[in-house]
Amino acid sequence: MKQTLINSLGSIKREIVNFSRSRKFYLILAAMAIVVILPPFLSNYVVSEVLTRILIFAIYASSWNLLASSGQGSLGHAAFLGVGGFVSALIAIKLGIPPIFALLLGSLLSAAIGVLIGLTCVRLKAWFLAMVTFGFSVIIVTIFSELDDFTGAVMGFPTPLIVDRGLPFYYMTFTIALISILAMYLVMKSKIGLAFRAIHQNELEAKMVGINTGKYRLIAFVISTFFAGLAGGLFAQSIRYIHVSVFDPYYSFLPLMMCVIGGLGTIEGPIVGSVIIVTIESYLPRIDTALNGLMGSLFPAVSNVGPPIRMLSLGLFLLAVVIFAPKGVTPLIKKAYNYLRSNVKEEKT
Amino acid sequence: MITSGLIQALLWGLAYGCIYILLATGLNIIFGVMKLVNFAHGQLLMIGAYIAFTVTTALGLNSYVAILVAMGAVALIGVGLERFTFRRVLGTDKLNEIFVSLGLIYVFENVAVLLWGNTTRQIPSPLQGMQLSLGGVSIRYDLLFAILIVVVILVALFLLLKKTKIGLAMRATSQKSTASMLMGVNIEKVYVFTFALGAALAGASGALYGIIFNFSPTIGALPTIKAFAIIIIGGLGSIPGAIIGGLLYGIAENTAVYFLGGVWQDAIAFALLIIVLLIRPTGIFGEKGE
Amino acid sequence: MQKNLIIIVVIAIVVVAGVVAGWQLMQVPSAEARKIKIGLVAGYQLAEGQDMDRAARLAVKEINDAGGVYVAEWNTNVEIELITIDTENDSPDKSLGPVTQAVEEEQVDLLIGGYTSSGTLANQKVAIDNRVPYIITGASSSLVTRRGPQANYGGLPEDSELRIDDEEGMSYMFHYCTTTADYSATVVKFFAEEMTPLLDSTYEFDASRNLRLAIIYRDDPFGRGVVADSKATIDAEELPIDVVAERSYPTDTLSFQTDLTAIKEAEPDAVYVVDFIANTAEIIKQGQADVELNTVYIAVECCEDPQFYTLLGQYGSEQLLESKFAPYAGPPYYLESIETYVTNYQAAYSTLPGMMGADTYDAFYIAADAIERAGTVDKAAVRDAIESCTLDQMLIITETSKIEFSTGTDYHEIAPVTFIEQLIWNEDVKECRSVIVYPASAEGVGTLKQADFVLPTAYEPGSP
Repeated sequence: MKQTLINSLGSIKREIVNFSRSRKFYLILAAMAIVVILPPFLSNYVVSEVLTRILIFAIYASSWNLLASSGQGSLGHAAFLGVGGFVSALIAIKLGIPPIFALLLGSLLSAAIGVLIGLTCVRLKAWFLAMVTFGFSVIIVTIFSELDDFTGAVMGFPTPLIVDRGLPFYYMTFTIALISILAMYLVMKSKIGLAFRAIHQNELEAKMVGINTGKYRLIAFVISTFFAGLAGGLFAQSIRYIHVSVFDPYYSFLPLMMCVIGGLGTIEGPIVGSVIIVTIESYLPRIDTALNGLMGSLFPAVSNVGPPIRMLSLGLFLLAVVIFAPKGVTPLIKKAYNYLRSNVKEEKT
Repeated sequence: MITSGLIQALLWGLAYGCIYILLATGLNIIFGVMKLVNFAHGQLLMIGAYIAFTVTTALGLNSYVAILVAMGAVALIGVGLERFTFRRVLGTDKLNEIFVSLGLIYVFENVAVLLWGNTTRQIPSPLQGMQLSLGGVSIRYDLLFAILIVVVILVALFLLLKKTKIGLAMRATSQKSTASMLMGVNIEKVYVFTFALGAALAGASGALYGIIFNFSPTIGALPTIKAFAIIIIGGLGSIPGAIIGGLLYGIAENTAVYFLGGVWQDAIAFALLIIVLLIRPTGIFGEKGE
Repeated sequence: MQKNLIIIVVIAIVVVAGVVAGWQLMQVPSAEARKIKIGLVAGYQLAEGQDMDRAARLAVKEINDAGGVYVAEWNTNVEIELITIDTENDSPDKSLGPVTQAVEEEQVDLLIGGYTSSGTLANQKVAIDNRVPYIITGASSSLVTRRGPQANYGGLPEDSELRIDDEEGMSYMFHYCTTTADYSATVVKFFAEEMTPLLDSTYEFDASRNLRLAIIYRDDPFGRGVVADSKATIDAEELPIDVVAERSYPTDTLSFQTDLTAIKEAEPDAVYVVDFIANTAEIIKQGQADVELNTVYIAVECCEDPQFYTLLGQYGSEQLLESKFAPYAGPPYYLESIETYVTNYQAAYSTLPGMMGADTYDAFYIAADAIERAGTVDKAAVRDAIESCTLDQMLIITETSKIEFSTGTDYHEIAPVTFIEQLIWNEDVKECRSVIVYPASAEGVGTLKQADFVLPTAYEPGSP
């Protein structure tokens, strides 16, 4: 046991050394530099509402990604986002615990609930699991709404903040996101992640090879729901309010969309997906006036055609990605990048 | 404690259950033959309601005749869906079907908003305002008619599956698609027909829904959930299971409200579902192993 | 190769940072004349949000066409620019981002709107922190103006997170809307003053008999709030009303027969339906068609919308609707401004207006008037000007016939008048239309009542 640990640490170290010589490493370093150095020059809105949100949903989407990599596509992940948000806020308020610890406790409780739900799901196939996880999110919403006297969920309430909004919160979130995604990356790269993928590929065969599928499916649930709860706590901080709307099916579909669009199963997929979707949702509404001018007369039944047209496009985009680019948009970006590089190289010679 | 109130609750539960049955049966047929699960099925119900609404109000068609129109139109939409979306992900990662469904939900709901706006509508029925009263209980003719139409459709479906060639092909395919391919069954044709049939049933349930309830572009989500609950309880792939499940669900929903009072009804429904799945991961009547 | 890449990337970062920083510096608000930016906070996924949008655009167009707003500071007339802040379904998580963008990036001068109570409570924080005047035209919870020190925190418990200590910030909040307390009070008073005597005389009941009221409501803060406020008013004013049944249901319920049957068994004289358009129409229909609960139903003011009349069909005949804005009760209308508004709205949008838009429409005129009187777009001055508003009432009737905030207190609410309408079947349009039956008159309007309240033809009273 100890020897295996030393071995795996050693192999990780070798991997890191090798990686640091690769092109990808410099790319990531550059990206991180941008993400760290640029924000003080940007407006408060962009930092607080756009960049911070991208980070939070990158954690959330990555958590969903990890679970899905074990073949368990949850349609009720919003439950954990909400639990994390509510529990961290309620613990901080009612027990007077500093919000940063409340955040951790919220994530732990989310993971605990994840264990329970995961246990009911160990034997279920993809569609049943999807329905059951969705069902659990309905049950959890009902519980929070009914216990409104205690949770204050239905009207909602402002959340106690860990740090001031703006740059302090952004850097805190960045640090947490870095650690979280790195942790999930290490898990996915390890033997555990290998087990996940084996179960996803063919559960029967995985069992035959001796993998304890039940155990690994549960592990996936625990890790995934922990980080989903963490994202939830951060989300409650970022909108400075917590309310039952955090349990909306929209938040269950969001990580799914981000992963599919970015690239399911990869580590950069959820991040790319988060960047794309948050940017679209923050900036695309600005074309509404133009859309209304162009197409308003085609659809007399609606006074503002902007929102339905944008959502329709999102649905079509999702369909297009699933059908034509099942590995997500990231490979296409890579291809484009390589294409440009090879062209530039040719010009040089 | 049989009061007339309880009998009434049973009657209404029966009528509503029938609408769920149609929806669940369509879903079940598609799963049984194609092993495909479409989470956007409820949106087909919604579109069916809107199409029936349009032909009734714009063309002055009788709302019950409009059911046929809705069935046809939604069947065509089903053909399109099968060919252009589901066919391409069939055979790939099971999660892809979920993703496609999700995309379709967004597409359908927003197309409905663009075409019809998001105001609430109702299909006017020629039987509006009329009801049958029998010894203390009364029921709207619309509800009785709905039960009648569902029975007719289910009988027609039964005949189709048992007596026609395509029905035979469908049943063969649902047993084992490789074997039926060897026997000369054109799998592609069967798939398209099956999906269209399932969609037509959804369209019919939508047209009925629109007569009995009012509707808007977002009503598709709840019926989908109920349809899934029904087929999970009744067993994925089993049509008798869907029928019994649908009736049970409709009745249980109404009588539970009678005794318990509303708020927990969704949560209880799901809790029951989860318990059933824990005991039998393929549903009560479901096929063993997969 | 790697080194070159790094150098290129670093240069790129520096350049981008410089450009962005420079652009930020150029965003200084100019001291010169410019358009007045008013942000409309509305949920475009909701039909009410779209009604607010149409009303807003109509108001802005009318004001601009009439020459705009004269700003003394710039010594010129300027136009209003409408900034749409789409909050989708107006929930807290969806509304915070767009409102933040409007306040921090677009730098709006004023905000108008807000529909849900929870969404408004969340997004008003941005306006409070940034000292932006916010005329809240939706949000039935009075907390939106009363959660600060000046209103003693609206009765919120001491440890409630909803309390706001920023007295200065809260002074920028204005509530131009009715609250659940306002309209539930009108409903119960109507029952006490009009219906009880009518019942007593028609059925020869004893004068000491209280009216038997049943309430069926959606199970959420709105429904529960109305029920609580109704009961509070009954107790406080010692009205002769007994609440004989209360049934609540989840908001996504489709079939209400069972709840209605339970209510029928309680033998009420009237049923108060607390829900939005779709469900209320269903309840009134199912009550009469399925359950044969032949009583009189009263709906809340959020049902005052063309959809409601269409969905009800004949089932609405002789039923009641509490309202604050009645585009269907005329012509002739109880207020001339209503006729003008309805005509213009229909001409522009080919549909009748709903009630959410009415408040919004008025709010734009309040804002324009305030800016003119302040002579500047400076937010503190505009806030003071709104506070001292003395415009005549427009689409919403007030107790004093004027639009006045700060009626003796430091939190800004108005004193609206709500009324009760009865629906009458109109054979020509094949829908119901309404007439006002209570109260008899209102300040600045004169006679408000258009007809006497009559018991529905098939009416059956509760037990004697």
